[in-house]
Amino acid sequence: MVESAAGKIDVSDIQGFVLKGYNFPHARYLLLELGAPEAARAMLMPLLKIVTTGERWDPKNKPLSTVNIGFTHRGLAALGIPLESLLSFPLEFQQGMHARGDILGDTGKNAAENWDAEWREGRVHAWLAVNARTSEALESRCAEMLQLIETTQGARLIRAQDACALFIDGKVSTQEHFGYKDGFGNPDFKGAERRCTPGQGKLDENGNWQALATGEILLGYADEAGELPPAPDPHLLGRNGTFMVYRKLHQNVATFRRYIAEKGAEYPGGPEKLSAKFIGRWKDGTPLELSPDAPNPAIVNDENRNTNFTYGADPDGAKCPLGAHIRRVHPRDAFGFNGGLVNRRRIMRRGLTYGEYVPQNQPVSDTDEHGIIFIALNASLYRQFEFIQQQWIEYGNDAHQGNAKDVLMGNHGGKGRFVVQGTADPTNPPFICGGLPNFVELRGGDYFFIPSLTALAMMATNTVDPR
Amino acid sequence: MANVSGRTYGLTILSPIIEDNSRIDICHSMELRWYLSQLPRDHRSPFAKISSTYLARLVVMDDVVFVGLPACEEHLKSRYLVFETNFDGDLDTYLRRMATETGDFVNAVWSHCVGFPGTANVDAFIAYMKKCQIETTFFFADVNDRTVDSTLKALHTQASLAEFMETHQSMPVAELQQAFGRFLEELKNARPLPHGGDESRDIPQERRPNG
Repeated sequence: MVESAAGKIDVSDIQGFVLKGYNFPHARYLLLELGAPEAARAMLMPLLKIVTTGERWDPKNKPLSTVNIGFTHRGLAALGIPLESLLSFPLEFQQGMHARGDILGDTGKNAAENWDAEWREGRVHAWLAVNARTSEALESRCAEMLQLIETTQGARLIRAQDACALFIDGKVSTQEHFGYKDGFGNPDFKGAERRCTPGQGKLDENGNWQALATGEILLGYADEAGELPPAPDPHLLGRNGTFMVYRKLHQNVATFRRYIAEKGAEYPGGPEKLSAKFIGRWKDGTPLELSPDAPNPAIVNDENRNTNFTYGADPDGAKCPLGAHIRRVHPRDAFGFNGGLVNRRRIMRRGLTYGEYVPQNQPVSDTDEHGIIFIALNASLYRQFEFIQQQWIEYGNDAHQGNAKDVLMGNHGGKGRFVVQGTADPTNPPFICGGLPNFVELRGGDYFFIPSLTALAMMATNTVDPR
Repeated sequence: MANVSGRTYGLTILSPIIEDNSRIDICHSMELRWYLSQLPRDHRSPFAKISSTYLARLVVMDDVVFVGLPACEEHLKSRYLVFETNFDGDLDTYLRRMATETGDFVNAVWSHCVGFPGTANVDAFIAYMKKCQIETTFFFADVNDRTVDSTLKALHTQASLAEFMETHQSMPVAELQQAFGRFLEELKNARPLPHGGDESRDIPQERRPNG
């Protein structure tokens, strides 16, 4: 048992993917269909020594690659987990993401009939993820995993989904395909090893940033309400685990560029500023609230500044529009009550882009493979991810935008509208973007349970005992 | 004044449902449940016709539920139809409109209730409903003291204006002013307003856990 410096959580029991953003540029997600229970368990046994935990790495000896694993509810059933345990998982996890489509707004272009086959057919039992520092390390680790699968006959590989950070001018970047630098604002929570960065946690009454309760991200700990989020029986099966949302989001890069070029030509602030108004940050990551007129590298490169802001001084959306993406999904102090209405709606993002980077001045097509494997971790799918998706992405009432959807991710169907609230300043006028198309389309995904090492051992040895 | 909050009247009516053990087919409360489950909730709802309605709700109340000790076990003497509604204006006018504009619906529902005189004699109907009335102390809060009609008109104006702004925002000033003048005229002579009715989102009523 290895306690983190912050006390009380056993980092050796929690999968590393949950506790850290590895920041490795290469990834391959092996989507598996499990074999017979005995064979699947035989495959899990050696994984117990292989799965990367949350233990701190020796800075001189960081691993070249990591391995982590998660299971859908069907996957847990295929493993032969006792029925009583299976039925004790939260309802939304049991149903899976496909069945929750109406709630999530996964209709029309985002409906399951447009998904990749393995997701549409609900065949994915397990997500075996390899993250790696180099493509050579990725290949060799994946080969090792495939060998293990082959030897034990524990599973069948349905699909290997590659993901990779975009390399721009030969260097790794955190940019995604629309050109925005991504990855800001992941929640700080108690027990996590990294330093609390201002703006990532929650606000206290004095306006200082504090870490969120551990139970917002990990099962078995008190959440922001002092309660334990619903978790499976027995306690040890759920504790130190979490739930993962996996959504393959295809990006229509050509449509996005065309739309920004067209509207940006009409918008007096210009296309770069319009792009910033969509998200709430300039493309380089500078928050509009801190620098409404231009990007500012000094702010972006300072982790004490680049996510350290609130919206209280901008109630009319003059700097950052009320419906801008980051303002919608993380309202910070915008609802009053010291952020109390926001603190239980945070998610930990771990996603990665897929597809080749195409520079702005090169032609690109919507049908090319470009997108993000959106991955979010939370203790309660229903209260956290599903709420954000339904109420803040596919609806706009809390942002005072009526029923307008999120400009970037909303399922607009060609009829969406985004309002840039402005001021009397001619370079920052009110502006309305209509006829919004779907810039992003869902191509599949599901809900996964990311077990602790203890839980994984119980599964591997068939000793999950709900009594 | 009881039952009134600003411009809004809150009506709560409990009508005992007929208990007729001699019926060989479906009992009144089940038939009533079935009928209510089939009622459209969108613009085809009977309450969309009575356009002063903010919210209407019909529930078949079987009994109070005993939840175990230390609660006392109690039972109602009858099953009840609970009808709750918030609307603009005065009670008599509303009840009169129910009887005269949605008579078929009212008869289909209240014919399952004890002592219902029918809607042919409107005064008798009003008296019957008032006899079943109990005091309303909680109101549907999301009403800003405007009438339903003026609220719908405001929403229509807002939607039309948003569309106008979107399509005219880059227009030169003189042209814009002319276009706006035409827009205002059109708005004044607006075609019949949209009816009320809950079709604001695509998600079926049953599937909204967070809403």
